[in-house]
Amino acid sequence: MTRDKGNLISGACLVAFGIYVISVAAKLPYIADVGPGPGFFPLWLGIGLVLFAAYLMFASVMSSAAKAKSESQSWKAGGRALAGWSAMMIAIALLGRIGFGLSFVILTIFLIVALDRRPALLAVGVGVGLAVAFHLIFVVALDVSLPKAIWGF
Amino acid sequence: MDALGNLLLGFSVALSPINLFWCLVGVILGTVVGVLPGLGPAATIAMLLPLTLKMDHTTAIIALAGIFYGARYGGSTTSILLNIPGESSSVVTCLDGYQMARQGRAGAALGISAIASFVAGTVGVLGLMLIAPPLARFALRFAPPEYFALMVLGLAMVVFLAGDSMVKALLAMLVGLWLATIGTDLFSAESRFTFGQVKLLGGVDFIAATVGIFAIGEVLVNLEARGGAELFKLAKGLRNLLPTLQDLKDCRFAFLNGSVIGFFIGALPGAGATVASFLSYGLEKAVSRHPEKFGTGVIEGVAAPEGANNADAGGALVPLLTLGIPGGNTTAILLGGLILWGYKPGPLLIQEHPELFWGLVASMYIGNVLLLVLNLPLVPLFAQILRLPYYILYPLVFGISIVGVYSVNNSLFDVWMMGFFGLLGYFMRKLDFPAAALVLGMVLGDGLERALRQSLMMSQGDITILAMRPISGTLLFIAVTILCLPAIRKVRSWRVEAVEREG
Amino acid sequence: MKLRTILLPITVATVMAISAGFASGQEFKPSKQIEAVVHTGPGGGSDLLARAIAELLQKEKLIPQRMQVVNKPGGGPAVAMSYLAEKKGETHTIGFFTGVWVTNPLTTAEATVTVKDLTPIVRLVLEPAVIAVKADSPYKNMKDFIDAAKKNPKQLAQSGGTITSRDNLMRLLIQKATGAQWNFISFPSGGERLSNLLGGHVQMMVIEPQEAGEQIRAGNLRVIAALTEKRLAALPNVPTIKEQGIDVPLIPQARGVLAPPAAPREVVQYWEGVFERFEKTASWKQYLEQNQFEDGYLKGPPLSKFFDDLTVQMRDVLKEAGAKVVR
Repeated sequence: MTRDKGNLISGACLVAFGIYVISVAAKLPYIADVGPGPGFFPLWLGIGLVLFAAYLMFASVMSSAAKAKSESQSWKAGGRALAGWSAMMIAIALLGRIGFGLSFVILTIFLIVALDRRPALLAVGVGVGLAVAFHLIFVVALDVSLPKAIWGF
Repeated sequence: MDALGNLLLGFSVALSPINLFWCLVGVILGTVVGVLPGLGPAATIAMLLPLTLKMDHTTAIIALAGIFYGARYGGSTTSILLNIPGESSSVVTCLDGYQMARQGRAGAALGISAIASFVAGTVGVLGLMLIAPPLARFALRFAPPEYFALMVLGLAMVVFLAGDSMVKALLAMLVGLWLATIGTDLFSAESRFTFGQVKLLGGVDFIAATVGIFAIGEVLVNLEARGGAELFKLAKGLRNLLPTLQDLKDCRFAFLNGSVIGFFIGALPGAGATVASFLSYGLEKAVSRHPEKFGTGVIEGVAAPEGANNADAGGALVPLLTLGIPGGNTTAILLGGLILWGYKPGPLLIQEHPELFWGLVASMYIGNVLLLVLNLPLVPLFAQILRLPYYILYPLVFGISIVGVYSVNNSLFDVWMMGFFGLLGYFMRKLDFPAAALVLGMVLGDGLERALRQSLMMSQGDITILAMRPISGTLLFIAVTILCLPAIRKVRSWRVEAVEREG
Repeated sequence: MKLRTILLPITVATVMAISAGFASGQEFKPSKQIEAVVHTGPGGGSDLLARAIAELLQKEKLIPQRMQVVNKPGGGPAVAMSYLAEKKGETHTIGFFTGVWVTNPLTTAEATVTVKDLTPIVRLVLEPAVIAVKADSPYKNMKDFIDAAKKNPKQLAQSGGTITSRDNLMRLLIQKATGAQWNFISFPSGGERLSNLLGGHVQMMVIEPQEAGEQIRAGNLRVIAALTEKRLAALPNVPTIKEQGIDVPLIPQARGVLAPPAAPREVVQYWEGVFERFEKTASWKQYLEQNQFEDGYLKGPPLSKFFDDLTVQMRDVLKEAGAKVVR
């Protein structure tokens, strides 16, 4: 994905987003009793988004192809990042069910074993160690409540 | 004015063993609370209020104030080491502080942060002592048009956060401004962009968004490289773990800048420490001889905002103690405390209870010294965190982020938000959209829109009110000038090219 | 033999029935930490009140367990109310309400939980309000202000909270009763409202006497009307708004305690008992006096009626105000 292609796609997304913002803002009152209403600001934000994003798309199309930076291996690397992100989101989903302690250990195991191919024992050690540290510092010492399951952590 | 006499009275109060002890407790607790993202001084002070009922009142305010300004010292630690903003006002410190850490200069960054905090914090106390009443009266002249102009000036700072592409910075800022509109509109009670979710009625939680974009986004970017991205180099030797003399010289203006801007913004009810830190950063970059280096790890870029958020604490006490008006959440709790203890905060508080005010002021000098003494030696210790292998560091960042964000409102929804903002932060990094511009928009969006609509309500729809009043007119003029700078620079470079071509 | 096979089940059934009768009369006592939900963040009005009450309850040993304040800010009271509703069946959670718990669901579609869904326990406080102007302004009483507003329609301004707040609703009621018109400028925090009045950018505001007290003592503010039935003890020289000839319904700012929906009878009785004893304590009376609150103690059916009446009153006033009423 070259820089210009990235600009083009993000520009397009932002144009679409800007149009969405305008559509919602248009339904809100533009002018209130005195001065602008709730629709005023978002409307102009949407317009600004569309204009600048369109400019971005335009500029990315116009700029020379010779500037292209080939980063083809970033696809796979991007996959790693997205895998890590998905793991985090799954852990967040689990927080309410199985509590912070277990969710965190699972997340750590995934990060260390699946993404990094390191030994599982290390992963479990790090995960449990950090989870215990978090519990001691936040729950015990600072009286902050963390999501917990029926077994208390 | 008998400031010296009063100050001596104050020191006689502050130096009593009990008050010294509780000052120390307060600042240590404040630092710890500031380091950890999410848990803030406001919640801590609120939790401790009942305990203070059994104390002498001056001791109590000394301790609680210690938590308040102590937290501003701690906020930079995780910002610099892990790109996790510990306090909302420490977001700006992430920009250059984290970059310095990546280059092996974490110690210098942490150290200059402590020193700047000390200098600015002390200046703030000086200001509180010397010019509090006249400053409070001046601050009363700030009506919505002035706030609007201040917000516009803040947004003009986007010029300084732009990096290579001005368009991308503007787009990021617009998205940030949009994020600020989510929630219930203050004036019309209409809900905007809430997608039917009750939890979005209050808007997007700022900590959730910034921790997501900065901390999670950063880890995701680093996950791409197997074996961890460039491991943080840690300079060897104690001498390299603290700022050098040259660093201190470079930061001379930053110390002044942070102190003055932080203190003045702090005295304005409603404008927060985050605004102060952005303005201070922008000003520092504007007067710098190497502005293009900001964002890559420039030490003044840490000193200025860190100083600003500390001076802001001193400034925030100005309206509280001289008028009984709280400027923000934490000062509102301090106000509640004063009332709980039987005081009547208002214009007569200082006259009627000089030992309270001057005892507090004197204790703040002492507190700032204590904080410097505590924090500087801890710098090499904290910097060792970066020695941890990345497979411990990344789960640690995830963990701190989740716990920190959850602890703000005990809300899983906020943690989900953080997750989505993490993805946004990742894409913004990959596509070169400056995250700081988005955060700037989020911080200022509320205040900007509100001030504009309030101003127009005041003037019955006449928009020239913004330019006609002296203070707001001046600030707007400066803002417009700043916004025109890139255009001016472009024109100049065209001219230079044109001359070269002809010559 | 036949007699025993009949007697045994009858005896067992009778014993079970009697013990069931005992069980329903069994008293409730908290056995773990109590959660007190508030809709503001730390430092907000509700938060400080809840913390003070928690502290006083514990000090007077009226509750056997700790009471922990849980902040659930967002959308006014909407997030807190929906959180409390989710806690249905949970016996160790209570919520601290204010008037906005009644009005907010009327105008916000997403706020699906109303006060009627929750279980009323007790009303503790009625917060009076007064109308204040800057001390050096030319308005010495309501008549001066109303006359000036009539002479310059929409030129004078009042600072206040949202348009559905008591500040604005009182303004609309007074405007309707007198025919005068002036602007309303919303500020999210009390500090800003006061500083704009002191700075001369607005001409009047509705304020609680405790906030105004010190400014009055310092000579910065003048109170020109009390928005109460009777004159306030702390301000005996300030006539009420009705005394000055402006007959408007007074909107009370009430604060008290609610429980999750369909709370069991024993739980309600327990809390009612606690607060009944609490209301009589000297430390609570001292707190009321320090903050210039009125004792608004009310419980049981009159409390439910209070909520119903307030809802109807608010709906009417909001419709008049032009706010979009969705419920």
